[in-house]
Amino acid sequence: MDILKLDDQELKRRLAFFELTDEDFKRLTALKPFAERWTNEITEGLYELIMGQQESRAFFPDQATLARVKKLQNSYFLGLFSGTYDLNYVRDRLRVGTAHERIGMPPKLYLGAYRRYLALIHARLQDHFKGNDAEAFKALSTIRKIIFFDMALAIDTYISAYLETMTRHQAAIRELSTPVIKVHDRILLLPIVGTVDTQRAHQIMETVLVQIVEQQAKVMILDIAGVPVVDTKVADHILKTTAAVQLLGAQTILTGISASVARTVVQLGVEITRVHTRSKLSEGIELALSIVGKKITSNRERAEGGGA
Amino acid sequence: MYQSERERWEIRIDKEADIVAVRQRVRDIAKEHRFDQFAVAALTTAASELSRNVWVHAQKGIALISVLRNGHKIGVELEFVDHGPGIADLNRALAGGFSTSHSLGLGLSGTKRLVDEFSIDTGPARGTKIVIRKWKKEF
Amino acid sequence: MPYGPIPILKLGSTLLATIQIELHDTVVDSFQNDVLEEIERTGSNGLIIDISALETVDSYVARMLANTGKMAKLMGAETVIVGMRPAVAATLVRMGYFMEGISTALSLEEGLELHARRSKLPDGMVDS
Repeated sequence: MDILKLDDQELKRRLAFFELTDEDFKRLTALKPFAERWTNEITEGLYELIMGQQESRAFFPDQATLARVKKLQNSYFLGLFSGTYDLNYVRDRLRVGTAHERIGMPPKLYLGAYRRYLALIHARLQDHFKGNDAEAFKALSTIRKIIFFDMALAIDTYISAYLETMTRHQAAIRELSTPVIKVHDRILLLPIVGTVDTQRAHQIMETVLVQIVEQQAKVMILDIAGVPVVDTKVADHILKTTAAVQLLGAQTILTGISASVARTVVQLGVEITRVHTRSKLSEGIELALSIVGKKITSNRERAEGGGA
Repeated sequence: MYQSERERWEIRIDKEADIVAVRQRVRDIAKEHRFDQFAVAALTTAASELSRNVWVHAQKGIALISVLRNGHKIGVELEFVDHGPGIADLNRALAGGFSTSHSLGLGLSGTKRLVDEFSIDTGPARGTKIVIRKWKKEF
Repeated sequence: MPYGPIPILKLGSTLLATIQIELHDTVVDSFQNDVLEEIERTGSNGLIIDISALETVDSYVARMLANTGKMAKLMGAETVIVGMRPAVAATLVRMGYFMEGISTALSLEEGLELHARRSKLPDGMVDS
């Protein structure tokens, strides 16, 4: 719902685009008796369509649900003629849309239902205005405006819900693609696997920096064995990250540097002199340990009282 | 794309303390619209650099801050206008790295790298107008 | 005694300055003054500047920090900047400002350790 950011300004803009004026509001209020007279019939007519199609029928499995929903439909219909079309009205409509989205009703059914609604209302209006076609036409125009206004809100709730899902997914993908691992006290490791484009490079730098501060890590090992192509751009991204790590007061060790990467980097004239580099990850880990004042010893060394 | 009239701020720059004012306002807006910490820092730093430029080179100018909306995207636009001497050698200013000297610290090229859109209109005796935009990461 | 709004504490042979306010001309001037006077008064050979409260470090602040370090060094004190925020580091690097010649450490503790290590080395040699 946040994504919609509906405020007074936006409401004004929407009402203007749907050409809803005070004249329309007055007309809608005047039609309230019409609405109260016909709401049951119109709701029945709507559900005749819905229950007549297999796909839509599935959403109303039992009589109790159907009865409840018809009641809600009646109050929705009457709401169209309430006379007040402010943010509360909007919020109410958004709730309706959200409810439908949540039960998984696809937009096509939702919009199909609205079409049926309009047809039923049209038929009743002709009866109501008994031959006064001009008035019936004006009433239908106004009702059509408010119904389309409502439909726009409903569609927006669907889009909102999808965007929220995508946001969650993207966040998960980001986390999964930059898995920072704590190898040892104050030593972090980030294996970079796959292509590194600008967006990913930014993501990597940001994750690395945040983790270093959070974990107070002295050493960050960046393993690039899994990066298929290391060109000047990628090298530049990596160097920016190591520079930023240095600014924090930590060190970077680049590992997984293949023969071809070493060749490319030097041939491209990229300077990687101020960063520790090793070809194998294991060597990088050993170096990291020595930086924090530790080392790996074999069990035999220790048993023999060695391992200085 | 449109700018809702309410979400626009104007801050005059004619003393050094105004740089802080612009910076704080930009930071508050970026945080309010939930830009991530890195984007907030980028916007705030860019605002600080450009405000300082106005104050150092023209002593007087104005900062215009707007919130932009394009569909579901949200962005912040900053506009800095002054009637100072203008930048004579724009290409050099945009190409170069940072100058450590106090008087020549334009930092334009650096600022450019912090934002998504950057436009500059300047010339001797024409003053300077710089507009930058940064969009919030969509997902 | 320091006159400006930035507090400077003595920690053994080191001074600790914690920046928690917005920086502009007059603040910077009094800060640099205070730092140098304190170095002189206490005979400290180390200066730690804590910037963990700084959300924004633009080129002006970066220059100020670098210059403060240079001034302190002339008076025999080595400077370490501690507590830089991730977003600040990223922004400086993205701008192209790498803060050459400045020592940094993750925290006050690390900064003191670095200073102690360096003090053991002969003058002119710098520990990585």
